[in-house]
Amino acid sequence: MQHNEANFRRPAPERNISSLFRLPSSVVGRWAVFFVLALLALAVRLPRLGERPMHTDESVNAYLIGEILGGENYHYDPRDRHGPVLYLLAEPLARICGARTFADLTESELRLTPVIVGSATVLLFGAGVEMFGFIPCFIAALLFVIAPLPVYYSRYFIHETVFVAVTLGLMIFGWRALKTNSLLSAAATGLFAALLVGCKETFVIHFFALGLGMAVVWFIPPRGKWPSLKAILVALGVFAVTAIVLFTWFGKNWSGLADLFRAAPNMAARAAGEGHQKSFAYYFGLMDPTFLLFLLAAVGVYSAIRDGLSRGRKAGLLLAIYALAIFLIYSAIPYKTPWLALNLWLPLSLFCGMGMARICSLLKNSPSRWIAALAAGFLLALIGRQTVSVAFEHPADQKNPLAYAHTVEDVLRLPPRLDQLAKEQNLSSPLIAVVAADAWPLPWYLRKFKRVGFWQPGQDPGEADFYLTSPTAAEPLGDKLKDRRPQFFGVRPEVIIILWSRETPAP
Amino acid sequence: MKKVAGSLFLFSLLAAGVVLADDMVPLKTVLPKPVFVGTPVPINVPKLEPPLKGKRPDFMVPAGTTNLALKKIVTSSTAEPINGTLDLVTDGDKAGDEGSYVELKPGKQWVQIDLGQEANIYALFVWHFHSQERVYFDVVAQISDDPAFGSGVTTVYNNDAANELGLGAGRDLDYIESFQGKLVDAKGVKGRYVRLYSKGNTTDKLNHYIEVEVWGKPAK
Repeated sequence: MQHNEANFRRPAPERNISSLFRLPSSVVGRWAVFFVLALLALAVRLPRLGERPMHTDESVNAYLIGEILGGENYHYDPRDRHGPVLYLLAEPLARICGARTFADLTESELRLTPVIVGSATVLLFGAGVEMFGFIPCFIAALLFVIAPLPVYYSRYFIHETVFVAVTLGLMIFGWRALKTNSLLSAAATGLFAALLVGCKETFVIHFFALGLGMAVVWFIPPRGKWPSLKAILVALGVFAVTAIVLFTWFGKNWSGLADLFRAAPNMAARAAGEGHQKSFAYYFGLMDPTFLLFLLAAVGVYSAIRDGLSRGRKAGLLLAIYALAIFLIYSAIPYKTPWLALNLWLPLSLFCGMGMARICSLLKNSPSRWIAALAAGFLLALIGRQTVSVAFEHPADQKNPLAYAHTVEDVLRLPPRLDQLAKEQNLSSPLIAVVAADAWPLPWYLRKFKRVGFWQPGQDPGEADFYLTSPTAAEPLGDKLKDRRPQFFGVRPEVIIILWSRETPAP
Repeated sequence: MKKVAGSLFLFSLLAAGVVLADDMVPLKTVLPKPVFVGTPVPINVPKLEPPLKGKRPDFMVPAGTTNLALKKIVTSSTAEPINGTLDLVTDGDKAGDEGSYVELKPGKQWVQIDLGQEANIYALFVWHFHSQERVYFDVVAQISDDPAFGSGVTTVYNNDAANELGLGAGRDLDYIESFQGKLVDAKGVKGRYVRLYSKGNTTDKLNHYIEVEVWGKPAK
């Protein structure tokens, strides 16, 4: 009964299973469940939000928010940036928190955006009950509440959490629009599709996978009706208007639209690896090292395919084709980063839910249901423990598989050390010259200092109170650095920066 | 008479110098395979210890000098290392990969090697970690006959400029770890125990040791 399209408007409750697995019979009850889960997600994500050092990508995004706060327009850069949606969401939130300049921003203010969006994703599963069933959505939402991958990246100021939320919205409202011909659902579909484009260039993969899924599902009998022309036009219209508004930044930068099409060659080049090459199986180990979830999901996939082929319940089948397509594409692309696994986590969690629903229906009133419940509880506890470890205990540790090329905690010593040295040398506004090939995330950590400049190795930064150089950039500055004492600071694993300061006279 | 005595004295000094010079041989240690891909380009900046350009220049030690630390007992400020075991410090394996190092807790930590008998120590070789570009903070090396290092302690290396360890402010230079290890000139200091301190590194707050070699000769 979980994915019965005949009961699309309101899923019928399971009558035969025990009270342990009883479903909320009312819409209000269902939403109450997902609302509580969303609050739980918020509670899990909020603590110690500002403690983890800023990853380079987070600091670049923060810098862009700083520019927007400073009155500049967002300009889509097809070479090395993603779409505007993250900034559109984060900038007002930062303002509400009181930030007016880049220097005002804090880690917590910025990470609040993915925290809220990540928690809203949990709530969004409530809207997916008609498509996938209550138990699959409940389990998927629960996994999003406590699992390491969604929790970690919901506290990370990058685009991925927003992208996944929008993907789920597109799936749910696209399905609704197809099934009900509702113009509101069609408009929501257009909106979510445009937001997906406005998040990241990887939307191409997801449009392809969803399109493939829709095409296969459509050919399998019983065939559904085509949506009305009116619904299609509404979806396309909302999509076009939203995409134009986003990429032109409310009509202020019309070249943004053309730039979007120029992103393709850069995206193709990046897909080749650019130093981020990983094995085909990289995401499997990252998402579920125990493989227990994959086992549960396998039951869900079996159930979805069986229901799709023999019972005409095609939502699970659509998800299976979509999942297979994105799993294969993301795994085949040499360029891999751990946050991309969040895209795969969405179908995995739903299939875990479908697997659980299948097990529930098989066990029904069997005494074994208690063993299954205990096993599920144990698995959830195990997942929760992993989350505590990766997201709270060792969030920036290089052994943490989710902390990818992460800024190390040692860099946190740098701003107070500069403050201390400036005070000792009576410098009210020290001049700081940074000479390094890749200075990120130093602009974030030096944002409170008013006079900071960045140079490439080999360039002459002129005279400065303090120099910050990479080890290789120090040699050409030999004369400027004599009579100065070096102090090392870690920036990332493998990356060191040296602070060169004049010897402080002995007291 | 005075002239003759002076000449004899000078001659004796010269002869002793020649004999001593004949006894000095280059210290020969076996270097591990470099595992750090982005080996730093040599730097020539005052007050920053430059990474070695190619092979390390010969370091002369008296003939018969051996690595006295090999397979000797190691103790530490950490009762239970986070990873690995303390015997890895003197097991002769200097490889930079996983399983070759012992990982001690964050903050100020030390390892101590009991050479088994008093010795004249001419050099220490230390490999903290060399599969990544890292700098270990507050590296201090001391030699003593007292296992508690309460008395008769000689510090042969100290780059703890801010005296964070409370062992006195050091003037030695920070250095970037490499497969070539850190060579410390111990100047023939006599002692049975060698203790090495550190306080985290540029990547994390932990302390690591791949290998420590103590080159010397048993004291007569």
